Amino acid sequence: MALSSSLARLNACWRKKMRVDVAVIGGGPAGLAAAAEASKEASVVIIERNEELGGILQQCIHPGFGNFIFGEMLTGPEYATRFIEKVRAAGVDIMLETTVLEIENKKIIASGRNGIVEIEAKAIILATGCRERTRQQILIPGTRPAGIYTAGCAQRLINIDGVMPGRKVVILGSGDVGLIMARRFTLEGAEVEGVYEIMPKPGGLMRNVVQCLHDFDIPLHLRHTIIDIKGKKRVEGVVVAKVDENLKPIKGTERYVECDCVVLAVGLIPENEIAKKAGVEMDAITGGAIVDEGMETSVDGIFACGNAVHVHDLVDDVTIEAELAGKMAAKYVNGMEERKGLLKVKAGKNVRYVVPQMLRGKDIETIRFSFRVKKEMENARVVVKAGEEVIAERKERIVRPPEMVKILAEAKKIWEIRKEVMVEVEEV
Amino acid sequence: MRDVRIKKKVEKILRKYRAKANVTVEDGIVFIKGTVTSWRKYVEIGKETGRIKGVKGVVNDLEYPGKEKKRKKRGEERVIGKADVVIIGGGVVGCAIARELSKYKLNVILVEKSDDVGGGGATKANNALVHTGIGEKMGTLKQKLCVEGHKMFRKIAEELDVPYEECGMWIVISEDSIAYRLPRILKKFLASYIIPFIILRRAKKLGIEMYKVSKKELLKREPYVTEKAIAAVFSPSYAMTCPFRYTIALAENAMENGVKIMLNTEVVDITVENGNVGKVITTKGAIETKFVINAAGLYADEIASLAGAREYTIHPKKGATLIFDKETRKFLNHSMTLLRLPRIEHYKGGGIMLTVDGNVQWGPTIDEIEDKEDTSVTAEEIERIFKTYEPLMPKFPKKAVIAYFSGIRAASFTEDFIIRAAKKVKGFIHVAGIQSPGLAASPAIAKMVASILQQEGLKMELKKDFNPIRKAPPIPREMDMAERKKLVERDGRYGRIVCRCEEVTEGEIVDAIHSKIPACSIDAIKRRTRAGMGRCQGSFCLPYVAKILARELNIPLEKVKKGGDGSELFIGKAKCLLEEKNES
Repeated sequence: MALSSSLARLNACWRKKMRVDVAVIGGGPAGLAAAAEASKEASVVIIERNEELGGILQQCIHPGFGNFIFGEMLTGPEYATRFIEKVRAAGVDIMLETTVLEIENKKIIASGRNGIVEIEAKAIILATGCRERTRQQILIPGTRPAGIYTAGCAQRLINIDGVMPGRKVVILGSGDVGLIMARRFTLEGAEVEGVYEIMPKPGGLMRNVVQCLHDFDIPLHLRHTIIDIKGKKRVEGVVVAKVDENLKPIKGTERYVECDCVVLAVGLIPENEIAKKAGVEMDAITGGAIVDEGMETSVDGIFACGNAVHVHDLVDDVTIEAELAGKMAAKYVNGMEERKGLLKVKAGKNVRYVVPQMLRGKDIETIRFSFRVKKEMENARVVVKAGEEVIAERKERIVRPPEMVKILAEAKKIWEIRKEVMVEVEEV
Repeated sequence: MRDVRIKKKVEKILRKYRAKANVTVEDGIVFIKGTVTSWRKYVEIGKETGRIKGVKGVVNDLEYPGKEKKRKKRGEERVIGKADVVIIGGGVVGCAIARELSKYKLNVILVEKSDDVGGGGATKANNALVHTGIGEKMGTLKQKLCVEGHKMFRKIAEELDVPYEECGMWIVISEDSIAYRLPRILKKFLASYIIPFIILRRAKKLGIEMYKVSKKELLKREPYVTEKAIAAVFSPSYAMTCPFRYTIALAENAMENGVKIMLNTEVVDITVENGNVGKVITTKGAIETKFVINAAGLYADEIASLAGAREYTIHPKKGATLIFDKETRKFLNHSMTLLRLPRIEHYKGGGIMLTVDGNVQWGPTIDEIEDKEDTSVTAEEIERIFKTYEPLMPKFPKKAVIAYFSGIRAASFTEDFIIRAAKKVKGFIHVAGIQSPGLAASPAIAKMVASILQQEGLKMELKKDFNPIRKAPPIPREMDMAERKKLVERDGRYGRIVCRCEEVTEGEIVDAIHSKIPACSIDAIKRRTRAGMGRCQGSFCLPYVAKILARELNIPLEKVKKGGDGSELFIGKAKCLLEEKNES
C-alpha cells in the first residue's frame, strides 16, 4: 500500500472529535481481525501509529502464516493483505500515523499529522502487540557501539528499509525471531557465526530450528550467552561463554568472537502502556492484560487481544482470539452482553499461565484456554478442571514451552459446577 | 624552601613503590619522570603526591609496562582565523565559558574535536546533579565554585529554557552507614546526633539550607527507604538539570551572541612566541590568538603539553550508572544517598537519584582506569551497583533497568579543580581537573575564567546588546493540551510521534537536525530530544529516526551514523553483500 494513498484514506475519516462504537488501538494482525469482526455489527475505527496497516506482518516476508486459517502458507504481507481488504470492504475508518496518548473513561486522545483527535468510543479493543526485550534488560555488559540491534529491528531494516545492519553476525536467542533472522542474514550474504541460547533447549518452534538453522548449517550453541560486547564505534566482537544450571557464565569457557553486528532475540513483552493508563489490570506472568473468555479486561467495555494479552507463536491463533474480541465488543456495544458471575482460572501443574484468566459466563458455548507449559513433557495429558471435576482433557505426544497449547471446554459444564477452573498438564 | 620539602616527601613515596624516578618541583608543581612496574603503582604515586600539602599540580610521566604512546596528529598550518580567545573543548565547561565571554566585546572561537557540543566526554555521561557543595571537601576550590554555581543555576536555566528542578536530597544514615568496629549503642549515637550535627554545621557555614529528620518522619516521607535507617538530613535545594540540553543551550546562546563554534576540529599544536601563546593549530587550520582556554577535559594535560604548559596529569576515573524505567519513579520523592563511613576520598558515594525526565538512576561507581575512553560497563560494575544501593531501598524493583552507561571523570592528582593562568606561558589558562561537581560549578567556573582573563591583561568591555535569553524548540509532550493542539495544527510533524516510549515527534527531530548546532547522528538527536532513551532503547524508533536524518541531511540511509565518524549504523544497502560476492 503506497504511503500517499493510505494518508489520503487517513484524511478521509479525520475529524477533531469523533464518536464511534468500537475503537481498535493497533492495526496489526490482532487489530485487523478484531475490527473486521466488530464491523459486522458496529461502527469501527482503527488507530495505527505506523504509516501502514499490518503491523509486524509487513516485515515478515517469509512464508509460514495462515496454515491453520487458510490452509495455505502465506507470507506476512499476504496474510495482512487479506485482512486489510476485509476492513476496507467493511468501511472501517482507518487512522494511520496516529498514536494514542491517553485513554480516560473510553475517551481516547490521539496524536497524528492531522492534529490531536478526541475519540469517544463505546468499546475499546487494545491490540497494541508486543515489543522486544533489549540488551539492557538482560544486562549484557560492554560498550555501546553501532551494530547492536534487536531481531525485529534488524528485520525491518533489511526487509522494509533496505539496508544491511552487518557483515558478520552473532545472534543471541533462539526464539522464532532469532531463528528467522539467522536465515534472513544468511540469504542476504552475511555470515552468521552462530546462534547462542542461554537455555538448554531452543526457544523457537522446531520447524524453524530445522528450516532456519540446520538447512543453512548455522551452529546453535545451547547453554551459551554473550558476556561482553566490544568495540568503540562499531561492534568489533563479543565474548561468549557457557553457562551453568543457574544460567551464570562458567569461568574458563569464554571465547572471543569477531563480528560487526549483534542481533538480540531475547524475548517479547506485551506492550501495555496504554492499557495501564486505562486502568486495566495486568497479569504479572504474561505481562499483558487479564481477560475473560470474551477477551474483555477488568475495565468494562475495554477488550484486549493478540500479543498485547500474551505473546503468541502463530498468527492464526492471534486472529482467532482477535475475532472473538471483535465479536464480543460489538455485542457489548449493542447491549447484548451477558454475564453469569465471576470464576477464576488458575494455572495448575506444569502450566505457566492460562488465558483467559477469568470467566464471566458470557454467551459463548466453547471456551478456548490457551497456555504455555513450564517444562517440556512427553506423553502429556492436558486437563481442564472445575473444582475437582474434569471438564475437558486431551493427550499430547509432547508439550514444549515455546509452543502454545490450546484446549476447548464446554462453558455449560463449568457454570453448572460454578467452581474455580484449573488447567493442568500431567505425565501419563 | 617549600619545593625542597615537597621534593623530599615525593622521593619517599617513590622509594615506597620502588620507582626508578627523578623528581623536580617548581613552584608547587611536581614533575615525576622515570619508570615503575605497574599502572596501579603509577596511579598510587600520583595520588599520594597530590595529597602532599602545598602541591599545586602533579605531572606524572612515569612509564609503566603497557603504557600507551600518543601519536601526534598532523595539523593544517594555514591560518584560517583570528580570535581574542580560543576555547579548547565544547563540554559543559567550555560552553559555559563561551557563553560568559559572549557578554563582552570579544572575538571568541570555541573548538571541539567531536561532532557535537557535550557529545564527547564527561558532559554526556554524568548524573545530571546540581550539587549544593555540601558533599565536597571543605576549603577546596571545587566546593567554593559549586556553592556559587548552585546559587546561579536557576537563573541561567530560566534564561536558557532548560530544565532545572530542586528535587531535594536525603543523606540517609542507617545501620549500614558506619563500617568502623564500634559498639552498637555508640554507632547509634553517632548516627542520630553526631553525624547530623556535623553535616548541619557545615551546611550553615556554607549557607546551604538543610535540616535533620527522624527515622519516623523519613519513612513517612519516603515509605520505601530502608527500615535500617536511623536518621536523615535533608537538603531541599539539591537540584538536577539535563546536562545535554544545558550544554547545547549554553553553546547556542553563545553563538547568538557572536561566539564561533567549530566542531570536528581537533587541536594538534599550540605555538608559543616570546613566552605568549601565538597560534592554535587544528585539523582545520591555524587560529591566531593571544589567549587560550584549556577546557579539554580528559585531554587537558595533553593540550597543556602542546603549549609547554604542563602542570598536571589527568588520571581518568570511571563512573557507571544504571537507569531505571519511569515506572519506578513512584518509589521515591527525592534523591537520596546513603552516608558511609569511612568515606572514599573525593567521592560523594552516589545514590538513588531522580532525573528531570522522570527516570531513576543508581550510581555512579568510582574506579581508576587506564584508558581515557573506556566507557564500557562491566558485569562486575553492574553487580556492585546493585549491591551498593540496595541497602538504601531494598524493595526497589531492580529488574526495571532500561539502560546503563559509564562516564569518565577528568581528575587531576591534586583532585581539586585547576583554574589559573599557566605559570610559564602567558595567555594560556588552565581549566582542568574538572570532575564532579563540574556541572553545578560551571556558571561559577565561567565567571572565574573571565576574571582571570582580565587579570592577565585582556581588555574586557561588556556588550550592550548581549541577549541572555535562548528559547528551546517546542516539546509537545510537555505542553498543555490546548497549546499542543495549536502547534500540531500549525505543523503536523509535531503530531506524528516517532519515539513511542518518550513521545518524541518528528517535528522535534527535524528541529534538532536544523538547529544552530545541527544534530547529525542518532546519538546527537537522542541527546536533544530523548528519542531512543525510553524503555525500548530505540529498537522501534531507530529506523524511523535514521530515515528522517537521511532525508533532512540529504544523504543515503546507509550513511547515517550512530555517533561520530566510523559509527555508521549499516554496512550498505540490502543485497550489497550478495553483489560483492557476485563480483568476486
